[in-house]
Amino acid sequence: MSILNRRQFLRRLGVSSAALPFLAGLPSLRGAATPQKRQRMIIMFSPNGTLPADFWPDQVGDQLVLKPIMEPLEPFKDRMLVVNGVYNKIRGDGDSHMRGMSCLLTANELLPGNIRGGGGSPAGWAGSISIDQEIKNFLQANEATRTRFGSLEFGVAVPDRADPWTRMSYAGANQPVAPIDNPYQMFGKLYGRMKDRDNLVSVLDDVKEDLTRVSAKLSARDKALLDQHVTIVRNLEQELKHNDADTKMAHPMPELDPSVELVNDNTPQISRMQIDLLVNSLSNDMTRVATLQYMRSVGQAQMRWLGIQEGHHSLSHEPDNNQDAYGKLKKINTWFAGELAYLAKRLSETPEPSGEGSMLDHTLIVWTNELGKGNSHTLDNIPCVIIGGAPGVKTGRSLKLEKVPHNRLWMALAHTMGHDQLQTFGKAELCEGGALSLA
Amino acid sequence: MSSIYRTPFQRLTRRASATLALGGLIIGGALTGSAAESSDKKPKTYDLPTGSDRTGMAIYQKMCASCHGDKGQGVPDEYDEPLHGNRSLVSLTKRISKTMPDDNVGACVGDDATKVAAYIYETFYSPQAQARLHPPEFDLSRMTIAQYRTTVADLLGRFRPGFDRPPGTARGLKAHYSGLQLEKPPEPDPNQPEVKPEEKAAAKKDDDKKKKDRPKVQFDRVDPQVTFHFDTHSPDPEKMAPDEFSVRWDGSIIAEETGTYEFILKSENGVRLAVNDMKNLLVDAWVSSGPDVREEKRSVFLLGGRSYSISLEFFKFKDKTASIELQWKTPHGVVETIPQQCLSPDRLRETVVVKTNFPADDRSVGYERGTGVSKEWDGATTDAAIEVAEHVDAHLDELSGSKSGTPDRVDKLKQFSRKFAEGAFRRPISDEDYKHFIEHQFEVAKTPEIAVKRVVLYTLKSPRFLYPEIPNGGQPDGYDIAARLALSLWDSLPDVTLLRAAAENKLQTHDQIAAQAYRMLGDPRTKAKVHGFFHYWLELERAEGIQKDPKSFPEFDAQVLADLRTSLFEFLDQVVWSDKSDYRELLQANYLLLNPRLAKLYGKSIEGDGFQRVDFDAKQRAGVVTHPYLLAAFASSKQTSPIHRGVFLTRTIVGMTLKPPPMAVAFEDAKFDAHLTMREKITELTKNTNCMGCHGTINPLGFSLENYDAIGRWRTQDNNKPVNAVSDFATDEGDTVHLTGARDLVKFAAENASGHRAFIHLLFQYSVKQAVNVYGPDELEDLRQSFTKSGFNIRKLVSEIAIVAATRGLPEPEAKAAAQKTEPSTTQVAQEAKPATAPKPL
Repeated sequence: MSILNRRQFLRRLGVSSAALPFLAGLPSLRGAATPQKRQRMIIMFSPNGTLPADFWPDQVGDQLVLKPIMEPLEPFKDRMLVVNGVYNKIRGDGDSHMRGMSCLLTANELLPGNIRGGGGSPAGWAGSISIDQEIKNFLQANEATRTRFGSLEFGVAVPDRADPWTRMSYAGANQPVAPIDNPYQMFGKLYGRMKDRDNLVSVLDDVKEDLTRVSAKLSARDKALLDQHVTIVRNLEQELKHNDADTKMAHPMPELDPSVELVNDNTPQISRMQIDLLVNSLSNDMTRVATLQYMRSVGQAQMRWLGIQEGHHSLSHEPDNNQDAYGKLKKINTWFAGELAYLAKRLSETPEPSGEGSMLDHTLIVWTNELGKGNSHTLDNIPCVIIGGAPGVKTGRSLKLEKVPHNRLWMALAHTMGHDQLQTFGKAELCEGGALSLA
Repeated sequence: MSSIYRTPFQRLTRRASATLALGGLIIGGALTGSAAESSDKKPKTYDLPTGSDRTGMAIYQKMCASCHGDKGQGVPDEYDEPLHGNRSLVSLTKRISKTMPDDNVGACVGDDATKVAAYIYETFYSPQAQARLHPPEFDLSRMTIAQYRTTVADLLGRFRPGFDRPPGTARGLKAHYSGLQLEKPPEPDPNQPEVKPEEKAAAKKDDDKKKKDRPKVQFDRVDPQVTFHFDTHSPDPEKMAPDEFSVRWDGSIIAEETGTYEFILKSENGVRLAVNDMKNLLVDAWVSSGPDVREEKRSVFLLGGRSYSISLEFFKFKDKTASIELQWKTPHGVVETIPQQCLSPDRLRETVVVKTNFPADDRSVGYERGTGVSKEWDGATTDAAIEVAEHVDAHLDELSGSKSGTPDRVDKLKQFSRKFAEGAFRRPISDEDYKHFIEHQFEVAKTPEIAVKRVVLYTLKSPRFLYPEIPNGGQPDGYDIAARLALSLWDSLPDVTLLRAAAENKLQTHDQIAAQAYRMLGDPRTKAKVHGFFHYWLELERAEGIQKDPKSFPEFDAQVLADLRTSLFEFLDQVVWSDKSDYRELLQANYLLLNPRLAKLYGKSIEGDGFQRVDFDAKQRAGVVTHPYLLAAFASSKQTSPIHRGVFLTRTIVGMTLKPPPMAVAFEDAKFDAHLTMREKITELTKNTNCMGCHGTINPLGFSLENYDAIGRWRTQDNNKPVNAVSDFATDEGDTVHLTGARDLVKFAAENASGHRAFIHLLFQYSVKQAVNVYGPDELEDLRQSFTKSGFNIRKLVSEIAIVAATRGLPEPEAKAAAQKTEPSTTQVAQEAKPATAPKPL
């Protein structure tokens, strides 16, 4: 990968509106003329379990007192719903990390396969669709809720390999959906070839001039063809100018820092870039469903920006009484909470296109993890923090549930997105009792 | 019916279509009948001068001009077709004395007919006269889509030396096998109770430790194909443990045809596949899921006549069984395990294949050419330029030989930019152009890397790139000649050798140009281009995907069709690239290249596999026109189609012109008496005088192939009656040729100048994308003579055409010398001295 190139390229990302007509054919880019009411969801993932004692609020109810890991979320306390007692009860093939990850959003067993983890029998991919894709399919099936992408899968520092530890989103059995962890690639996906178009627009003048120069040497007969060519180029230019005047996107493209190398140490910047792109794609209604995946299950991010040299996963294996490790894990998990806070902040600062409050009021962010606790590898009590607003979701409180299968949480999420006919999700036996009530 | 014509023709008016056309091919007894009728009427008188004033021109003005116009241009509502065509003077004279004037046949005979025919022939009728009257001009052209693709591939290839190196002679893929040494496992105790999960986990940790200590088994070999069913075993059951092993195959695939290749990978284990682009996996199925064999399919567009790197990784871990199959479906093939002859253990560097879709090139004159531009085309060039710029951007370090942040980065990027622009423009750039195309971009762009992108976009959008023969002002120089040679022979850019020759002023004399052309013939790009020509010449598009009535021809499936295509191309390649490279062998070979499957279907039995030469009775097989692939293509689903076959033979093989049919008549089988043969039905269908004008030629030629059924098998019966393939056919020269079947037909065509002209004409316009007479009224004839002198050497013709195209606009002596110089043997010269235009009746 040529980092510098991308860097230079993106420095110019204030893509001129001259490039916009190229995007005219794309639906939802500019947003509907009269914005309809939109409900959105984001699932944010961070790996390797949490530290329950410094994570879960002591008190159940509306008197929410945040523990150290969740401190960065203080400004959003009123918009938060902490759900304690959600269990990933999926068993079968694969180790806890694999099932924690690849069954997290599918709530169903893995297929047998050739991938061996740290225990259990080898396993393959997830055996059924994940909740984000389920909801995406639901929204895309309806004209009123259809968007250009349906869903977007963002990643941050996800290693470039495909296995059950790196994938949580599935279009169906055996169909992992790869997150895009390169903000420049994501930018390219969202804004097409605008950046290249922009470059092209800027050389169009040169091209026209060159055509004229070359044409001057031609016979009248040959010239006719080139004149036609010049006309095409000139028309293109005029079209661009014409469209310049009346084309505006609902939200301008984000300005990405163009000089970030995709290396571990730049993870904080990459994270913010991805969040900016995510918020931007939602505000331009390119999608209403998104996932934001930090690293991967068993991820070994070395968070040197927090003064931590050891890999995250190795630290998570240390016993609770290893104070050094414990302190570092606290920092790590607090950092994730900070990223969530930034996402919530960006959404809360962006007005909802319909004029009703901010985008956060119409978006549910669910922050979760593949394990309840790192050193025990338990799939019980997996972290679940919901921030934002949706009909039927009461925030500003902490809930304590009794060993509820996470299948029912995803059903509840589907219902907030209007997919209320979803009677079971994932492994049907675990759906007894139906969708969780979040009211 | 219109699809059977190569070129569109103006529509005839009612009057014209009802009148017999001199310029066409109207012949036959029907005409005499109508002439006899008109002679019953009161004779017309013409105020013709006498003595030396009775010139051809005078006769024409008095007797002919009222219908044909004073310059042969035609007269509306009389005979509005202009008078020009391909008849010889003798034939034209005969025709006039037999049929003209239309309303007073017999009034212009003998000396009068001779004189007026000569006048008509020389003044406007003959092709030479037409060329003189309307000298065709060179059409400035952009690259065709095919040219664009090869050009871009070779342009970027210049930065990856060796990317186009033909693979060595070894076939198959390099394989590296790796696994653990087999241990003597304790016999499993069938009575052993099931292990509890905790124990399992503990046992696993134990396993891991043991595994680390277990010695590995590795070996390398070349596998002819990738199709392995290891079942529950390892690749080496003697030494390697079966539960865990991996294999990596490396090398390249050889793609003969341009088009979409579908790769199909089947395995129940972990597999990864990369083709051409080694950075991005084509198939990533590393994670297996359950015991079922999964099938992964991915398509890649590849340019024919080139090789592409391939890398395939496989691993098994604890899966019950192991297997892997690597298959493909080539553009006109069927799904098959990639055959050994298409695999090489040599690795290559990436070839850039532009994926952008271009609007189809103009084919309105019968061949694809780039004489028009459109908004869609311009848009496609933009998309393609962006695609290339993105590739360059992503591989900039490799292509420029520099690293970001190093002190010489900017210099290296400027060097890259110059080389790129010079490559694309096919010549060094002037200082002024360097400023525009390169310096300026580095000045305005925020970074040198963006500047490179701008250079790429600007260069690929420039007319200097898009129009390869754009005049540079003044006489063509060595670079123009290099560019034209590369375009005609390769559809691409000059290579480094050509550019060096141009730079050293070594592309000036005929010998120098010819030496380069001959050298270029040996490049695989020429082979690819010649393949393209055969596809065009034999109208193989018709054969692609055809299906036959499964009841009548149950054996004729997609596999047979694919085999026939291979058989035909192998035959064409063998002939063209043999020493003699003899055009006549293409037409007259009494053998086919068949594999066992085809041999069985076509009535032969052979030993061994693969394609091999199978000789036939010379009466039964006679070159390409009797190749089953063509015979099947020029036939309907159940029956033969003598009209399709006849039109193809008339125009393309025998080289006579046909006017479009005056009326559209569909062949409806049900309308005929069920007991008739196909020949009888066609005879009945076309018996009308208006039809017979052309069908007098089409039918005999088509009937001569009636011994081949709709899939090209030899037959002696049609509809339970004996096949009649015998007929007489009249040539442009007015001779009658007696044909008893395919053998007579191809003998006639192979020896006939008009057949040679047709071949040269088609090869020329396919290679050069311009009509041959653009290069001078005599060019076709000159080429024909040297073709004859060379013993009908196809390769020589290919290179001579390229030389003619390359020397356009050079001072006459040089150009002529270049075009005409050949090394004929004395006997060939002697043969040529005989008039070549009057073949004897057979």
